[in-house]
Amino acid sequence: MSLYEVKDLKKTYQLGDVKTDALRGVNLTINEGEFTAIAGPSGSGKSTLLHLIGGLDKPSSGEIYLNGKRIDQLGKQEGAAVRLSTLGFVFQAYNLIPVLTALENAAFVLELQGISKKEREAKALSALKTLEMDEFKDRRPNQLSGGQQQRVAVARALAANPKVILADEPTANLDSETGQRLIHYMKKLNQEQGVTFVFSTHDPRLLEHVNRIVRIEDGRVIGEEHPQPLAA
Amino acid sequence: MIALAWRNLWRQRRRSLISLFAVALVVLFAILMYSMMGSMSNAMYQDLTKEVGNIQIHKAGYRDAQDFSSGLLTNAAQVRETVAQTAPNAIVLGSLQAPALLAGEVRSRGMVIQGQDWPDAIKADFIANNLAEGKFVEGDNLTGIMLGKSLATALDVNLGDDVYVYAPGTEGYGAAAYTVEGILDFDDPNREIYAAYVSLPAIQELAAPDALSRLELHYPEIKTIEEDELIAPDVAALSAALGSDTEVEAWQQIDPNLASIVKVFMPMVVVESLIFFILAGLLVLNTVYLSTLERIREFGVIISLGAKGRQVMGMVTLESLLMCLTGAALGLAIGLSLIALGSNGFQFPGYSEEMLASMGMPSVFYLSIEPWQVLLAVGFAVLTAFFAALGPARMAANIEPAEAMRYTA
Repeated sequence: MSLYEVKDLKKTYQLGDVKTDALRGVNLTINEGEFTAIAGPSGSGKSTLLHLIGGLDKPSSGEIYLNGKRIDQLGKQEGAAVRLSTLGFVFQAYNLIPVLTALENAAFVLELQGISKKEREAKALSALKTLEMDEFKDRRPNQLSGGQQQRVAVARALAANPKVILADEPTANLDSETGQRLIHYMKKLNQEQGVTFVFSTHDPRLLEHVNRIVRIEDGRVIGEEHPQPLAA
Repeated sequence: MIALAWRNLWRQRRRSLISLFAVALVVLFAILMYSMMGSMSNAMYQDLTKEVGNIQIHKAGYRDAQDFSSGLLTNAAQVRETVAQTAPNAIVLGSLQAPALLAGEVRSRGMVIQGQDWPDAIKADFIANNLAEGKFVEGDNLTGIMLGKSLATALDVNLGDDVYVYAPGTEGYGAAAYTVEGILDFDDPNREIYAAYVSLPAIQELAAPDALSRLELHYPEIKTIEEDELIAPDVAALSAALGSDTEVEAWQQIDPNLASIVKVFMPMVVVESLIFFILAGLLVLNTVYLSTLERIREFGVIISLGAKGRQVMGMVTLESLLMCLTGAALGLAIGLSLIALGSNGFQFPGYSEEMLASMGMPSVFYLSIEPWQVLLAVGFAVLTAFFAALGPARMAANIEPAEAMRYTA
């Protein structure tokens, strides 16, 4: 079943007198359970595409459907509600809240959802356990390594049980071993729990493990691949 | 969210502390000023009612009387009986004043001479506080007079000297000679220069046999303007019982000038404190605004994760509220401690008793505060928090998440 349908998506940025076409008409379908990467060089539009399908930005034209519902024209509050209930985000720069502990960060989306403290801490702890970060639950981000912070970020996205996790260059700031470990955890979530992942990346380490690559260049999809992913 | 807001406050410790202390200072100032004004009002009320009673009963229309006798209570005994039945808890004092010329051997002065009853409690207090030399003139003493010290000096008389009183237009003898038997000392120099007391029988003999200018009702247990509300029923009951031939006045009618001043005191101080809260609010606004600006990316992330606009506004407002409430708590703690210390009485250094008395103010202030005044100060602090957070909260809520995350990337 298709989770995302993107039709002729275009995005143009106006910076002073300069117009930049970040996306020039992208058509894409993403199904449930996929472990998909949107790959391309820097400036190809992959992050822009991820932001648009995540509802973080509005397209200049085109349509985006999530679970059959059009989301590109939603107002701020409806967009926030869709993100809160359906999407999870992992960012390149981790973006944890520095004054909260790992557990509190992992529980943050649940708190936004209005879940009680007891329940959200239990769910957050379970998510941290999945990422093998439960022993660090009381540490703050500045007491964790980059890889550990990114695992907490994945736990934050996972704890709210989203339909899909959108990850923007999640391994970019990680060393080789740490990046591999993170990929291992995310792969495991996809295989064992059926969590759909959509990555924006140009990291070959990650591309080795996805089961679908959407190649993007100069704001256009130039091809798709269905490689045999390596075992996690 | 409370934990998040509290921890966010201390990300910029110095800036937050400055704003917090500013709020604390304003709350401290506010409750000290409310307390001072309240104490001053009550002290002025006490001074007035101690001197002339909480309630006064006059002949109807006495203020517009064209001559001395038309302003007198001629049925004083009947009025006293009605008062005793209607307001049995009051200490009742009859008083007669007559305009007169007082003369020593060399000098003279026009003024109002007075005589009155001296119930025990009032007499004891008067003697303790005001009799400086000689003896107290009361009862059947028809020849003695007590003069204020400065009046005695003005007339150039001392204890044992004769004073001649001429009271034209009155209904008694109209003239008499008295021996100075007591010298009085008052804090208020304006009162002292006009203080001339004879016994009630003596002044009735001089000016108006069996008549009184007024009856005063004293309630020594009533100490504050708020407590004065408790005797309002007595005023109403006396008015009804005595009928239209008499005027029954509460303190506000006895001294309308004081009532006007007191009415203005608290609103004036409330407005002053509000101005200071606005100034503190500008500092809080600056702190909250800078804190929000510095966390634009973070708010972008929070909105990306699904926070609604009102949730983001709530986060910013909560930070402002916690800062102001913590400052208010500190200000209250210090302020209430100072008020507790001042409740035992304090004097303003550098101000003499005479100077304060001439301004109608007591020499010793006893600080106190009403619960509503504490709530008002805290309420202002809360309002400061909300208004200071309004702009930054809206700014944070309207952040475009994609743009915000590029902001410091």
